[in-house]
Formats: sequence, structure tokens, C-alpha cells
Amino acid sequence: MQKKICMLGGFAVGKTSLVRRFVQSIFSDTYLTTVGVKIDKKSVALPDKTVDLILWDLAGEDDIGSFRVSNVRGATGLVLVVDGTRAATLAVALTLRERAEAEFGAMPFVLLFNKSDLADRWAISDSEINELRQLGWQIYLTSALSGENVDDAFRQLASMVTK
Amino acid sequence: METLRQLLVGREISELSRVTHLLDEPEQLATAVGGVLPSAAARAHHAQLGEALAPAVERAVQRSIQKSPRTLTDILYPVFLPAIRKSIGEKIDQTFQSLNETLRHIFTWHGLKWRFESWRTGASFSEVVLKHSLVYRVEHVFLINRNSGLLIAHVTADNATSEDPQLISSMLSAIQDFVKDSFNEKEQSSLDTIRFGELRLWSEVGPFATLVAVIRGNPPEELHEIVRDVLLRIHDEFSQALEQFDGDSSQLIGVETQLQTCVELKQEDSNQGFPWLVVAAVLLILIPAGGWFFLSWQSGQRWQAYVSRLGTQPGIIVAEQKVRDGQFYIVGLRDPLAADPQALLSGTQVDPARVHSQWQFYQSLEPEFVLKRLTASLAPPDSVRLSIVNDRIVAEGEATATWINRARAAARQLSAGGPEFDISRVRDVSPEEREAERWQAYVSRLGTQPGIIVAEQKVRDGQFYIVGLRDPLAADPQALLSGTQVDPARVHSQWQFYQSLEPEFVLKRLMASLTPPKSVRLSIVEDRIVAEGEAPDTWIDRARAAARQLSAGGPEFDISKVRDVSPQARAAEHWQHYVSRLEAQPGIIVAQQTTRGGHFYISGLRDPLAADPQALLSGTQVDPARVHSQWQFYQSLDPKFVVKRLMASLTPPKSVQLSIVQDRIVVVGEAPAAWINRARAAAQQLSADGVALDVSQLRELSLAELNHLREAIQATDIFFYSGKAVPGPEQMPVLDRLADQLKEFAQNARKSGVTARFMLTGHSDATGRETANVSISAARAETVRALLNKRGVAPDLLLVRGAGTFEPAVPENSRTGSSTNRRVSVTINLE
Repeated sequence: MQKKICMLGGFAVGKTSLVRRFVQSIFSDTYLTTVGVKIDKKSVALPDKTVDLILWDLAGEDDIGSFRVSNVRGATGLVLVVDGTRAATLAVALTLRERAEAEFGAMPFVLLFNKSDLADRWAISDSEINELRQLGWQIYLTSALSGENVDDAFRQLASMVTK
Repeated sequence: METLRQLLVGREISELSRVTHLLDEPEQLATAVGGVLPSAAARAHHAQLGEALAPAVERAVQRSIQKSPRTLTDILYPVFLPAIRKSIGEKIDQTFQSLNETLRHIFTWHGLKWRFESWRTGASFSEVVLKHSLVYRVEHVFLINRNSGLLIAHVTADNATSEDPQLISSMLSAIQDFVKDSFNEKEQSSLDTIRFGELRLWSEVGPFATLVAVIRGNPPEELHEIVRDVLLRIHDEFSQALEQFDGDSSQLIGVETQLQTCVELKQEDSNQGFPWLVVAAVLLILIPAGGWFFLSWQSGQRWQAYVSRLGTQPGIIVAEQKVRDGQFYIVGLRDPLAADPQALLSGTQVDPARVHSQWQFYQSLEPEFVLKRLTASLAPPDSVRLSIVNDRIVAEGEATATWINRARAAARQLSAGGPEFDISRVRDVSPEEREAERWQAYVSRLGTQPGIIVAEQKVRDGQFYIVGLRDPLAADPQALLSGTQVDPARVHSQWQFYQSLEPEFVLKRLMASLTPPKSVRLSIVEDRIVAEGEAPDTWIDRARAAARQLSAGGPEFDISKVRDVSPQARAAEHWQHYVSRLEAQPGIIVAQQTTRGGHFYISGLRDPLAADPQALLSGTQVDPARVHSQWQFYQSLDPKFVVKRLMASLTPPKSVQLSIVQDRIVVVGEAPAAWINRARAAAQQLSADGVALDVSQLRELSLAELNHLREAIQATDIFFYSGKAVPGPEQMPVLDRLADQLKEFAQNARKSGVTARFMLTGHSDATGRETANVSISAARAETVRALLNKRGVAPDLLLVRGAGTFEPAVPENSRTGSSTNRRVSVTINLE
């Protein structure tokens, strides 16, 4: 079983480094700047099956207009990545999700607040996160540095897209 | 009943009648069905609805086309156009490819071979060309979901490898999107070829899936069609599964077998396997052949090197050379004097057995060969040197007339084409002439010899005659002949001896006849012979006789500078020298002296203060044993002696000086009155002897001041504290004053010719042990001496002694006894 998953997020939120340690990859980071897409694979073993998440890491730019929405076609899930030290990146991630869903319909997603290791520069309040959780969203505080919660997030998404 | 029925089911009846009416009225029914038809169709089972509608739709389309084909054409136009365009494009590509390959191979060896094959098989030439030139293999086939880019199936050829196909398929579709987005390509077409070196990616796009073939090599364009067929078949067979693909390939298992047909596509090189046997056979032939070619090429090279070396050899002209069947042939001319071509062969590694030479001898006109031949034929004498100067042969030196004539003849012969032979620089020297020249050189050499006089000389019939005078002491003419190259056998000399009167010969003769003693030296001074030195009278007599003999015409012999020294005379001379020396001595008067029987007798007077005559004898070479002296003492009245005697008897003070002025003795200075009286007495005595002693300039020395000073000094005491060797500070002014007085006294005393010395006597009191008192008293005196010395009193004038308690100034038991006795006192001694 394989699923196409798109990773969306603003510029330098850490999408690429988030997955680097947890995925199989054959393409270098330069693909992001040349083709605009880098594709990695994350195999998640669920109790009943193994799911291959084909992760489309889309070049993150703050200029949302340059986001190539056609890359999302055929995706069954999204990974929204926010830089927890930059509040503005939350809005960027949500806008990107809106654009993807407007084009291809609603799809399951997980929302990752990345760089949780930088507690002293943290810019998102707990109340804000709790509000989003109230909406039933799957939210994880992750760290590309420590790998905290990354596996859990992918596991969660894998089970969501195979339901 | 009716009412009841009306009441019970009245509503249903009216509803039923409405429905019945609706069903009966086609218009109304159509309206109603039309209202629900779209949703009914949407809910219907797709397959069944499709099957149900298919005939109607087909008929409808058929009717539509029959009625107006234009409508459907218009509808389908956007669908067909890209497909047609693509198809035509591929056809054109195919044609170009075929043309390309045909042109590429038409004139090659393969081309010929393939033309034969085309004739044999009946296929077109271009087909055969493509078959052979387009070598390719489909290595991978990916079937990719068009929507999500997820991999549906992947098939690999044997031995082909690739990275994770899932990632590759996603990336491929991402790149498709990238190209499409980047260049705003809105059309329904897709990226169908990617080429990377030997590798090509061909993609065929279907409605739900894209088939990507990875091909290595040079595929024919027809392959597109094959791939497209496979994709179509897959779509036919699995259309529903493809459409609903959500990442789960389990529904699409059969797809891989279809893809397999693509992967099996390949056109391999017709050469099946490497033809080792053929290669081995070819190598078997080629290696010996190559070896043979190399060896023959190498020997050819060596031969050419040899030939070019021959070409550069002087005196060798290569007319023709060739190589045939491994044999070397060479024809040419060579000078007999040139290097031997056979010998030159030795270092070249060319097999001499394969060399066939034909050499004609010729005479080379190159200067060096002409030179060699001339040297051989003319045999020039040692005195002639042949050399090449600017291509001319030049002979230089001396030669006989006959040789020169031969050389001239040779030069005339040569002139026809050869180098010029220049013999102008050869001097004609026939042996007789040369002999004569040498003889003249010898004769003139003899002429310059002192003591040889050549009277006559001549040359006749190769014989040399010479007549002359020679001094026996002159050089031997025969000996002079040795270096001259004149044949002594042909020299006939007649020499008369004579005595040369040239001074040097006279000198030689005198040396030989007189044999002068070593003390005489003979030399030539302005043509005179001068003898100098000492000689016994016998020799002088002989020399005088010789001088007299010489005087007739010869040089003068001057013997005046030779002193007559016979031993007795010399001893007498020495004696006289001694006597005259004695006579010059003051205080010595020689009364008589004689020499008798080799003994010397002398008598006279001598002053005791005069020099000792015996002592004066040493250094005079007079034998003291033969000297007999008799000296009477006397008092010389020579002022010098008188002064000496006065100095001894009067002992004048230093302030008095005695000097001799015009034989008078003058006494000047200051002296004590007593001394002046003694001096006057002496003057009176001397005047009786006729010696003048002038004492008038003596002044009496006054010592009154000194006496006063002496008393002051001797009254001064330096006092000490008990047990101290250093006087207290209150004594320092006393010491300062004492020092000044001592210096003044010493100075005045010295003026009067007296040396004053000051005795510093240390004293102690009577307390304590006597030895300690003696030592402290001495220490006090030493301290005062040092303090006075420090104040400028000369230390050699200061004497020190320690008196201990023995010389107390006052009795010890008196009141001030101890402190007064601890002192240093001063006494003055005049010398």
C-alpha cells in the first residue's frame, strides 16, 4: 500500500530536516531548488499492514503564490509544518492547506509545530494550540534535532489515510 | 359505502388517479421522468447502464454522423488533433531516423554487407540498416498512476538496476508537472522523451496511467507504437482498477505480464559473443607479419642511417642504393684515402652479409684528400708544413730547391679543377746554403767571444776553414760548435794561442800565476786591475814583479791597496796600536817602549785612578804573555784626576758642584762653613802643584732656621687614648702642622745637601703586660707614619720604632703620667 503525502509549510520551517533522519531518500536537497519537489519515502508499519508514505516535500516559500498546487494532485494526506519560533508560519501552513483543499477537496492532515527544542524562542502560545486541538486536529510538537514525535506524527497520518 | 370509501381512501384515490393520469399522459410522464433521469442515471449500476445505453448511443451517433458528420467532427476535433499530430510527428521522426542511418552507413563496409543482406532477404535496405544500427534494450518499464504519481507496477530487464522505483515514479511525474508548469504547456500532451547519454526515457500517457520505458541504446521510432499498444491493452483490461487506484496495487496483478512484453524488447548487436577464435586466428597471422614488417622496417631504417652516414663521409659519393628482398645494394665512388665503407658498417647493426657494394675508386678533389695525396706523393721535408686555409692548400717553411720544383709541378697538375696549392711561402733553402748560413752564425758568435780573434774564414766545397788567435783561457771554439748544427767533421780550424791583454784575461792569468791569499781580492776597475787587502810582503813582492811585467801594453795592475802583513809586522802593528791607545789615556804616561825578540816592553807612570793598562790590553790582539810592563804610580795633575781625588777626600755635600772650566777646577754651591774651610785648605795645597781650585763661589750654608724647625718638630708629641693605636680626632690639627714642618725641614735639608730622616717613636703607659705595651707602642708609631704619609711626607724619610714603656716622658706615678706617656715622639737624624 502506498500513499502520496504532501508536506506543506513556509520557508525554512524545517520540512526537509524534519524528514531527513526518518525517511528513505535517493534525491539530494538540490531537487528542491531545481525541480521544486523532493520525493522521499517513509514506510510505516501499522498493525494490519505496511504503508509506504511517498512524501512530496514541496519547496517552501513565504511567497504563497509560487506554491505549485498541481503537485498536490493525487495526494491523500498532508503534513503541515509550522516553525514554532515564527508565528507567521502557522498562517502560511493554513493558507497552503486551504489552497490544496480548494483544488482537490478535503484530505486528512497532521499539523506539526517544529523546532520544539528552541523553547526559549517559542512563539506559539499553548492556548492557541489547544484551540486548534479543539477543532479535532492532530497536532504534534516536533523537533528535527531530537526526532521528538516525528515518528508518531507519520504513524498517525498513515492510519488516517488508510481508513 | 362510497362516502366511507371516500373517507377512508379518498386521498389515496385522488393521488392514484393523479399518478395514473401522469402515466397515461406521455407529455406529463416525460416531464416527470426528465426530472429524475439524471439522478437515476447517476445512481444506476455503471456497467448495466452503459450496456443499456450503448446500443441507443451507438445508433444516435450513427444517425448523427449520417445526418451531419460535421457536428461530431467538431466535437471530436480537440480530441483527435493532438493524437494525429503526435502520430504524424512520430512518422516523420521515423523517416528521418531511417534516412539518417541509411546515409550514415551507405558507403561503409557494413553498408555493402547490409545491401547484400537486403538483396538476399528481400527487405528494404533502410530496414536492414535500422535493424543493425539501432541497438537498444528496454531496461525498465514503469506504470505510473497519472493522478498521484504513485507507482502501479514496475518491471526490470535482467541485469538492469535502478533506485527505489516508487520514488522514481513519483519524481518522474513531478518532473512532468514541473515541465508542464514551467513552460505553461496547457495542452493535453506530456513529456514523452527524456534523454540522458545512452539512456532514454520514453513515456506514453494514457487516461489513468502513464507508461515510462527506460531504454538503453538507440531505439527505433516504431518502439513508440509498441509501447503505446501495451498501454492501450492495459487500459482495456484494467480500466476500472486503474481509475480507482488508491495506492493499493493488489487489484492490478496482471499488469506486470503485459509490461514484461515491453521489457523483452531489444535489438542486440548481430555479433553474438566476441569472436575469440577469429581474433586468435587473425592475431596468429598478424603478430608474425607485424614482427616481420617491424624488423624489415627497422633494418631499412638502419640501412638508411648507414647510407646517409656514407653520404657525409668526405671522399665517398653514393651514386645509387636500393633495398630489394631484404638485400641492400649500393653503388658509388670512393677515394682510396677515404674511410673504408666496410669498416663504417661495423657499428650500424646492418648485416654485412646482406650488403652488396660496388665502389669505383676516384680521386676526390676535396682539399683534405688532395692534401693527403700531396703529402704522400711529395713527401715534404720536416721543415715544410702543409695545411688547408680557406679550401686552399698552403705550404709553409723551408725546403730545398728540388723539392720546391716538384711541389710546383704538382701545383700545376692540380690546378685543373682541384684546390689551389700555394707554395709561395716556402723558402728555398738548399742544404749548402743552409750550412753556410749556420757557419756564418757560428763565425759571428766566435767573433763576439772575448779572447778569440778570427783572422780569416772561408767556405770551399762544403768545407769550412777558420784561422785565428785564441787565448787559452777563452771559450773552446770546438765546444761552441756543438749547438750550431754545423758538421764538426767539415770544420777545419787553426788557432794560434796568444795572451789576450783584455783586463779579464789578464786578471784570470794573474789569479792563476799569483794565487793571491784569501785576504786579497782582485777586481777590474775601469780597465785597471786592482788588488785590495792584506798580504805578506813576499806575496806583495811577487805581485809587484807581475805588475812591472804587465805594464808593456796591458792593463795597469794596482797593488797599492794591499797592506804588507807579515805576522811579525802585524803583531808590531797591534802593539803600536795598543801603545797609542795607552798614550791617549789620561793619567797614564808612557815613558818608554820597545819590541825585542817578539816581546814587548813598556814602562811609564800611571795614576791610581787611571784605567788599568792590563785591562786595556784585551781586545788588542796583542798577546799579554809577551807584554812586559813597568808602571810607577803618580798623582796626575790632570784636572779630571784632581777632581776625582777631591771628590774622594773632601766628600762635598750635594749642594756643592765641582766642575772643570778651562783647566781650572771651580767649586760652586752652598756648604757648611767647616766644609768650606777644608776646601780652601785643599785649594792652597793644589795651587803649589800648579792646579787652580777656585772656591770663591762657595756660599756658607745657614742652618739656624733649620735648628729652630728641628726644635719645634722634636717638641711635638701625638697623644693616644688608653689601649688605642689610632690618635683621637683632636690630634689631627697637630698631625697637619707636624706634617708641614717635616716637609719644610726635609726640603731645606735637601737644599743643604743633607738628608733628614725622622724617627717616629711610639710609647705606651705602664698598664698591662710589657709585650702588649711594646706592640701597641710600635703600632702607634706605624699609625702616625701612615697618617703623615697621607699628609704628603715621603715614607722613606719616616722611620718607626716602638719604645714600649722604656722611654716615659714623665714618671708613671705622676698625675698625668699615663695619658702623657701614651704618645708618639719625633726625632730628626741628618745624614
